Amino acid sequence: MIYLDSGATSFYKPPGVEQAVRCALETCANPGRGGHAAAMRAAQTVLRCRETAGKMFDCPTEQVVFTSNCTHSLNIAIGTLVKPGSRVVISGFEHNAVTRPLHALGAQVTVAGRTLFNWDNTLEEFEQALKKGATAAVFTHCSNVFGYILPVAEMAALCRQYQVPFIVDAAQSAGTLPVSLKKWGADFIAMPGHKGLLGPQGTGLLLCGCAPKPLLLGGTGSDSVNQEMPDFLPDRLEAGTLNVPGVAGLGAGLSYLQKVGIDRVHKRECAQAKRCAEGLQKLGMQVFTGEHQSGTVSFVPEGDCEELAQKLADRKIAVRAGLHCAPLAHESAGTLKTGTVRISYGYDAAPWQTGELISALERCKFF
Amino acid sequence: MKHCMITFRSVTPAQRGEGLLRRAGLECNIHRTPRWMEEQGCGYCLRVRCQDVMPALELLRAQDVSFRKVYLRRENGKLEEVAL
Repeated sequence: MIYLDSGATSFYKPPGVEQAVRCALETCANPGRGGHAAAMRAAQTVLRCRETAGKMFDCPTEQVVFTSNCTHSLNIAIGTLVKPGSRVVISGFEHNAVTRPLHALGAQVTVAGRTLFNWDNTLEEFEQALKKGATAAVFTHCSNVFGYILPVAEMAALCRQYQVPFIVDAAQSAGTLPVSLKKWGADFIAMPGHKGLLGPQGTGLLLCGCAPKPLLLGGTGSDSVNQEMPDFLPDRLEAGTLNVPGVAGLGAGLSYLQKVGIDRVHKRECAQAKRCAEGLQKLGMQVFTGEHQSGTVSFVPEGDCEELAQKLADRKIAVRAGLHCAPLAHESAGTLKTGTVRISYGYDAAPWQTGELISALERCKFF
Repeated sequence: MKHCMITFRSVTPAQRGEGLLRRAGLECNIHRTPRWMEEQGCGYCLRVRCQDVMPALELLRAQDVSFRKVYLRRENGKLEEVAL
């Protein structure tokens, strides 16, 4: 299979991930719940991953929290900063993982910056919205539909200037773009473990720059007499048994990225996305491409996007079609009615994948 | 060899402390905190040589690793909490 759906999850994991998961299943018990060798091995596995993530994202070790996915992380972050009626500024490219929790909380949402690949528009509208006063801001680092990389460092600076607490959704950027809790001064950064970080599904991270409100309450293996959740991290947000095999695999994914370098991964993905966009344009597709684009390209085909994705699937090429859980992004780009076909490259992006895809699309035109 | 105990609220700071002390050449071992030492229950502690307690605490403070209590071994062999 030619896998071009890395925006959904990384599929072919790097060497070491499967082995780390298997090793954890065979040797690790419950971390922080005992003093015996298997419990301590589990705790070591978890700490190693936490420390590696902390170094990669400029975050103190104890402020790296394990979650089950990016949505889980975003729910904690949004639940901490947003109250019913809060005024919240978001970008025009947010995922339902951001908009649905805000809707459920009854937040007053202002959408700022809806022009693709245009940093001036994003920053201008974002600043205008912040100037009017906001309780919080939530913005994605990179659109999951169009691969638009938002100017997060500048948006973070604006939030600090207007003293608005903010959350960065790094679902599509962690593992391919630099992410820094310290440099951005973010209140929270949420990310999945199974996409760019190459870990197993069921893993996520939340980097905490401020005191969070727990979403899940229960045992933490610490402070047990206290009926309130511990007031210290990471325990405050890690109730219940951690997904240790998942964390072990995530640790191996992070180690792989450290060795290869995220800059190299980003360049490799972007090179193929550019080549792909050129090929799609030659085929007469409506392609969304521009400056500040990651390894993700969306296009609108002549026919139905889901039907085309199915034709590609029949030819063993995996892509994603539809609204990609981001109706707001489609509304911004004017593709809510049609949806798009999304090609998203991963760390293993290679010219042959693009070549096969374009050839297959050429053939699809005749069926 | 007389040993003293430094207690932590949970496994994460205890492990970080263990790594820090070992890298500095101070011998230590991580254990569950004896129940009588931790009224809040379920903590972890580092067992260190009594002569290493002061440099160990300095290291932990310098690296912002939060610990709860220190127990020193008295002449009678008993561990006793010391005020910090």
